Amino acid sequence: MIKSKFGPLGTVAGMVVLTAAIPLLFVIYSSGQLSAEKWAGLWSSRLPMLLGNTLYLATLVSIGSLVLGISSAWLIARREFTGRGLALWLMVLPLTIPTYVFAHIYTSLFEEQGWLGRVWRALFGEAIAIPDLYNVFGAAWILSLASFSYVFLLAHAALIHSNRALEEAARIQGATPLQVFWRVTLPLLRPALAAGLAVVVLHVLSDFGAVSMLRYQTFTLSIYLQMSGRFDYQGAAGLSLVLVMLSLTFLAMERFFRTRQRYYAGAQGAIIKPKRAQPWEQVWIWLWLGSVLLFAFALPLWWMLELSWTAWQNGALGERFWGYVFNSLLVAFCAASAAMLVALPIGLFHVRRPTWLSGGFMNLSSVGFVLPGPVIALGIITFMLAALPVLYGGLAALVAALVVRFLPLAVQAEEAAMQQLTPSVEQAGRVHGAGPLENLWRVTLPMIRGGLVVAWVLVFIDVLKELPATLILRPIGFDTLPVRIWIEASEEMLELAAPAALMLVVASLPALWILMRGKKGR
Amino acid sequence: MVKRIGLALMAALMGLAGTGSMAADQEELVVYSGRSDSFVKPVAEAFTKRSGIQVILHNASSTELLNKLRVEDERTQADLYLSNDAGNLQLGSELGLFQPLPDASAKLVDARWRAPDNTWLGLSARARVLVMNTKVKDLKFVKSVFDLADPRLKGRLGITNSANESFVAGATVYMLAAGKEKTRDWLQGLKNNVGKTVFDKHGKIVSAVAEGKLDVGLVNHYYIYRHLDEQPNAPIRILLPDQGEQGMGVAWNVAGVAVSKHTRKKDAAEKFVAFLVSEEGQKIFAEVNEEYPTRAGVPAAARLPAPASVKVANVPLSKLGPERDATLDLIDAVGMP
Repeated sequence: MIKSKFGPLGTVAGMVVLTAAIPLLFVIYSSGQLSAEKWAGLWSSRLPMLLGNTLYLATLVSIGSLVLGISSAWLIARREFTGRGLALWLMVLPLTIPTYVFAHIYTSLFEEQGWLGRVWRALFGEAIAIPDLYNVFGAAWILSLASFSYVFLLAHAALIHSNRALEEAARIQGATPLQVFWRVTLPLLRPALAAGLAVVVLHVLSDFGAVSMLRYQTFTLSIYLQMSGRFDYQGAAGLSLVLVMLSLTFLAMERFFRTRQRYYAGAQGAIIKPKRAQPWEQVWIWLWLGSVLLFAFALPLWWMLELSWTAWQNGALGERFWGYVFNSLLVAFCAASAAMLVALPIGLFHVRRPTWLSGGFMNLSSVGFVLPGPVIALGIITFMLAALPVLYGGLAALVAALVVRFLPLAVQAEEAAMQQLTPSVEQAGRVHGAGPLENLWRVTLPMIRGGLVVAWVLVFIDVLKELPATLILRPIGFDTLPVRIWIEASEEMLELAAPAALMLVVASLPALWILMRGKKGR
Repeated sequence: MVKRIGLALMAALMGLAGTGSMAADQEELVVYSGRSDSFVKPVAEAFTKRSGIQVILHNASSTELLNKLRVEDERTQADLYLSNDAGNLQLGSELGLFQPLPDASAKLVDARWRAPDNTWLGLSARARVLVMNTKVKDLKFVKSVFDLADPRLKGRLGITNSANESFVAGATVYMLAAGKEKTRDWLQGLKNNVGKTVFDKHGKIVSAVAEGKLDVGLVNHYYIYRHLDEQPNAPIRILLPDQGEQGMGVAWNVAGVAVSKHTRKKDAAEKFVAFLVSEEGQKIFAEVNEEYPTRAGVPAAARLPAPASVKVANVPLSKLGPERDATLDLIDAVGMP
């Protein structure tokens, strides 16, 4: 069954990728107009500082997410304790809180009169100043809390499926539990951790909410200021191009690392029940998980509940509020479904015919994730106005930009599922007379259903929280929950922002439930 | 099934796209508004009651909306543009995004509060002032914003971060009135005095001064009154800087409105502008935020310093736009937090 290298699948994949690459083309085009002189100016005044700041932040957040993610994943995967199922659930809840909400909450909690500020004063008196969040550590703290769940999810899955025989062999050879963890368990986790870290780092590189709140100069913030403060598109595009190259380098490294490591994931071993924790161990486990959750979810939730209660009593939640909820759900639903669909050909093409071309498609499709939201939005506006003016100003433009932005999440999730497709089953379908489309429908799609669901949910949750692109591209008068949070918070009316933030959490719950459903077992 | 959902979605999207571009029928005005929702809504609602014309407020930051207007060009859905900053309005004028307003409306606004070519009109004015804690005695030497750079105020001064629109506009006025050198030294002095602690909101500066944590702050005047509304006995007072014979005068800024060059509802848009500068509109617009109406003869709230008694810096508002980059360069060079 030799076909041309491209085939219909490749054509469709190519079209999707080309669409996704529009913002990148826009960036390349605009930065091409940047004079050598201006490049030099950017280089000497900005770039070294931005590179340093961005990499520093990414490193700190990686460390933070690894510590939080691995520790809780290991405890939940390897110890049997009361409330384990609940703990598994709770650890993904921080994903429902956007980084800008985290930043608002923690800056107000750490004020002199905030809860944490007062606790701090009670503990340390005037001697030690209340921590200042407006620096790299504050930003890293908030981004770690907001994104460690990605590491947790992947590490947990890997720990459950990993082969215990190797660990036991090491124990028999006389290694201490710590040595086993360090020298056997952790290396086995490497592919999962690399994948988790990739998601975390991409979130850090493209984060706008937390860094703009805390005024920590990263690429994204600087690009935004260049664009909207100085109306300097070309400068912004130049900076974006550097950011894209940085991210692509990182992605290529991660992919290289992962393909090399796939070797380790080896054969399926017997799955052994996790060890029952002693009562005193249970106390320690819950102390650790509890403090992680306290900061990553409970405190923010409590803050939202309290302020929402005030807003509710003041009658601030009228019909309009539910309109915002509906708008948010509508956009998230459309974008998630569209992203799930258009990611299919890219993933399938790469799995069926892994060539440099399909790999290139995969890489290109991730561009959306590494360009800052406002830049994507501007690229889409420019393109739509030039090519499809009919669609401009409607929901379609917004959905298109969001699909481009979060396509990589869908592609990655679906590709991972497709890697496990057994070609013989698909071939059997064809042998029995199914056409390519029928085969796709009745054989392939059912086999990768899990991956499709994950793709949909991940995109849904991220779209629900998306702010910068939505702010620019939404149809006239079409406010979503994040937009309302932004408006109310910029008017210093946090009590009106809180109910919207709370609704984001509530609206993400069903999606998370779908994602976590399969994990309850073991 | 997935495919069927996909098709349904496509259909829905096309449909929505259609309504998106058609939603703007005759009786609706779309306003790109960079001014807080709650400050614009009252006047918009009053206008709707009068005229039957709906006003849709599309909120985002002033600069972003200006960008959007510029990229959309003739396809924009915006009929009007509202901003809290004269700099943005003037930039828009210079980019050719607006059209001149009829004399009947423009002439009602004091000439210093509008564009030279009437492409935008100021609607409410605000002053950059100092908030002082009344219990602190040794602040007699503070008479000018430039005194804020005095090392005696180390650790006692509150300013916003340098990305704040009002801070940048204020610094631009000082730069044009007193020169680049002096302004750079001033910024450096401010930086030395505040260390790394700057505020993200003006309201927090006023609170900090009221609580005695800081002695003096640089804010827009209405934040002081907003605080006094909540706590009438707070130990704070307003100080108008740079007054007297030799003084440079206070820096002003306005919130203003412009009509998009590409609006298809010129009549309705001009009607709205006419309402905004009418006595009724002016009163509502300025009052919600305790600002000064820009139409001569409409009184400001009684407790504000009378406008006639205030010496104002001799810098045309139309300079705020073109000179902004120079200010940002100064801020960057000093490394203001």
